[in-house]
Amino acid sequence: MPGAPKVQQIPMHGIRAERIEKRLGGNDVLRGMDIDVRPGEILSILGSSGSGKSTLLRCLNLLTIPDRGDIWIHGEKLAIRAASQHGGPAAILDQRQVRKARASVGMVFQSFNLWPHKTALENVTEGPVLIKGLRRNAAADLGHHYLAKVGLSGKADSYPHHLSGGQQQRVAIARALAMEPRVLLFDEPTSALDPELVGEVLRVMAALAGEGRTMVIVTHEMAFAREVSTRAAFMHRGLIEEESPPRQFFFSPVSSRLRGFLASHR
Amino acid sequence: MDGFAVQFVSGLKTTVLLALVSGVLGMALGLLAAAGRLSRWRAVSLLVGFYTTIIRGVPELIIILLIYFGGTVAISAFFGRYVEVNAFLAGVVSLTVVFGAYAAEIFRGAVLSIPAGQIEAARSLGLHPWQTWLLVILPQMLRIALPALANQSISLVKETSLISIVGLTDIMRVAAIGAGSLRAPLTFYLAASALYLALTSLALLIFNRLERHFAVPGR
Amino acid sequence: MDISLLLTSTLTLAGGIPLTLLLTFASLLAGLVLAVPLAFMRASSCKWLSLPVLAYTYVLRGTPLLVQLFIIYYGLGQISAIRSSVLWVLLRDPFWCCLLAFSLNGAAYTTEIFRGGIQAVSNGMIEAAQAVGMSPLQIKRRIIFPIAFRSVLPSYANEVISLVKATSLASTVTLLEITGLSRKLVSETFAPYEIFIAAGVLYLGLTFLLTGFFHLLETRLNGAPRAEARPHRVDLQQVAHE
Repeated sequence: MPGAPKVQQIPMHGIRAERIEKRLGGNDVLRGMDIDVRPGEILSILGSSGSGKSTLLRCLNLLTIPDRGDIWIHGEKLAIRAASQHGGPAAILDQRQVRKARASVGMVFQSFNLWPHKTALENVTEGPVLIKGLRRNAAADLGHHYLAKVGLSGKADSYPHHLSGGQQQRVAIARALAMEPRVLLFDEPTSALDPELVGEVLRVMAALAGEGRTMVIVTHEMAFAREVSTRAAFMHRGLIEEESPPRQFFFSPVSSRLRGFLASHR
Repeated sequence: MDGFAVQFVSGLKTTVLLALVSGVLGMALGLLAAAGRLSRWRAVSLLVGFYTTIIRGVPELIIILLIYFGGTVAISAFFGRYVEVNAFLAGVVSLTVVFGAYAAEIFRGAVLSIPAGQIEAARSLGLHPWQTWLLVILPQMLRIALPALANQSISLVKETSLISIVGLTDIMRVAAIGAGSLRAPLTFYLAASALYLALTSLALLIFNRLERHFAVPGR
Repeated sequence: MDISLLLTSTLTLAGGIPLTLLLTFASLLAGLVLAVPLAFMRASSCKWLSLPVLAYTYVLRGTPLLVQLFIIYYGLGQISAIRSSVLWVLLRDPFWCCLLAFSLNGAAYTTEIFRGGIQAVSNGMIEAAQAVGMSPLQIKRRIIFPIAFRSVLPSYANEVISLVKATSLASTVTLLEITGLSRKLVSETFAPYEIFIAAGVLYLGLTFLLTGFFHLLETRLNGAPRAEARPHRVDLQQVAHE
């Protein structure tokens, strides 16, 4: 079978990335790392800043295009041209395929990135209307449903600049959910929030985890990762240093670096 | 077209002189008007406000025509016989009035953007109010106003072409005369636009130099 | 000053308002249609797209509108290919020449205004749109342009107001809009004060109405009045044409 991946079986759901390399600003941010996100799994990725965890997450839906490596989303290998040795940048070969893949992978950003010219409801319905071709009222029903799910029924007509950071992030989660994605990516979703607003966002995320959704969470919230994840990974300098179920990860880590990291984040 | 080279040079001189004189006078008028607009006397501030709002809401051409033809009527009445106003003078007056109005608003905005803390700091150092203005506010204001002034000066260079409508022999008028007498309007107007483009580019270059010269590192 | 003459000439000159408004809005529309794609090209990181647009905006913003108008009205006729083409029907007509000159000139300014707005749209907004699977065109249409347009609305309002004032140049190619009518009236009566002041009052009225309209538009587009008041409101600022 030509071009068959080394690994025997590519799962029909979830995400697999192999040998991902990325160089940014003269640094090797990702150094040939593999990651596998299986359906129903909640994977927390931890690591100090600069370890490459956000870049990895952004590679999974190609907001950052890896220089080298393969990515499968729900069993389909993404067509990417690797960066050339002479500095030619990596490129997406099949835009349509990538758009389809992105539509099935929700993403929540550190800085919310709500569209300021649209109300909370419009932020949520924009994707379903444009990408899935939903009619306006069907999309509005869907939007209200997901806003209610994140506890913001009353804020449908508010503009982002009238919402608190925690509310904005919850709208952003509703926006990701409204596409009914099979995997949710969270890029440090609480790092930009005032401490008193972190809880409301984490509660929403914990509720989603309770529904058996597939989630990848880059975070600094140790307690949350310990409670919610089914698996945790520790990144160091562009590679996964240690990866294990949370009990082992947090209570009997093998790597000395992870032990140091955990100790300093207690 | 050879015979027109000399005329284009003299037209260029007229255009440059007109722009320089109106620019300098307009800047002075703008400074005065900005001071008036920011003054504590409400009547003065209101009056200046009227001036800048009206001038900026009316086409430059109307102002030029009003000053040229209005001036002619006034002076003719004074001397009791028909006296036509000098087009260059009418140009200087009208362009100064226009430039002054825009410059006043630019300066006012620049002054208002200086943090009040600096003025308090100057006061607390024991500087006299006029020392505060001269040493603290004015230099900063000019630096902040520079980009907008550059824009306005480039507009001024282009506006000088309107004075040709009342008969000033500037670049534009020379082109019109040449276009008519040699029946080559495209050639002459393209030549005129090349000259104007050179002038506005030069103005841009000078202002870029000035901006770099007065730039505060790290801001 | 003859007040009754001022009033009667205001009424006479008001007859030029429709042509002034027609010239303004027609060139505004044409300029907008041109400027939106040009602004995206100008904001592009591809030099082959941005440099030609820069050349266009640089030349049109660096030369007087009067010269541009004369090149189109008097100059193009020098080319016999144009004189013998179908376009000549339009290009010999001062109205269409004005429209062409004002649209091309306005498009240059508008392009640079929009480019500023487009480049100021934060990357996060675009990434959020990419992340839901929008295509580049959808992102431009639904996200980048609306955000950019709102942020440059005050500058665009100034541009519209300078366009109103720029239409006065139509009088130099025989059109009888407000300025053209006033010049005709002055040559008949030789009462420049009353007539040009009346014309000025009409223009002032038009610019005030437009300023008010853009104030309203700004408030509406921003959903309720903004929490953080923006320092630069719509104002009769610079960005003059001539």
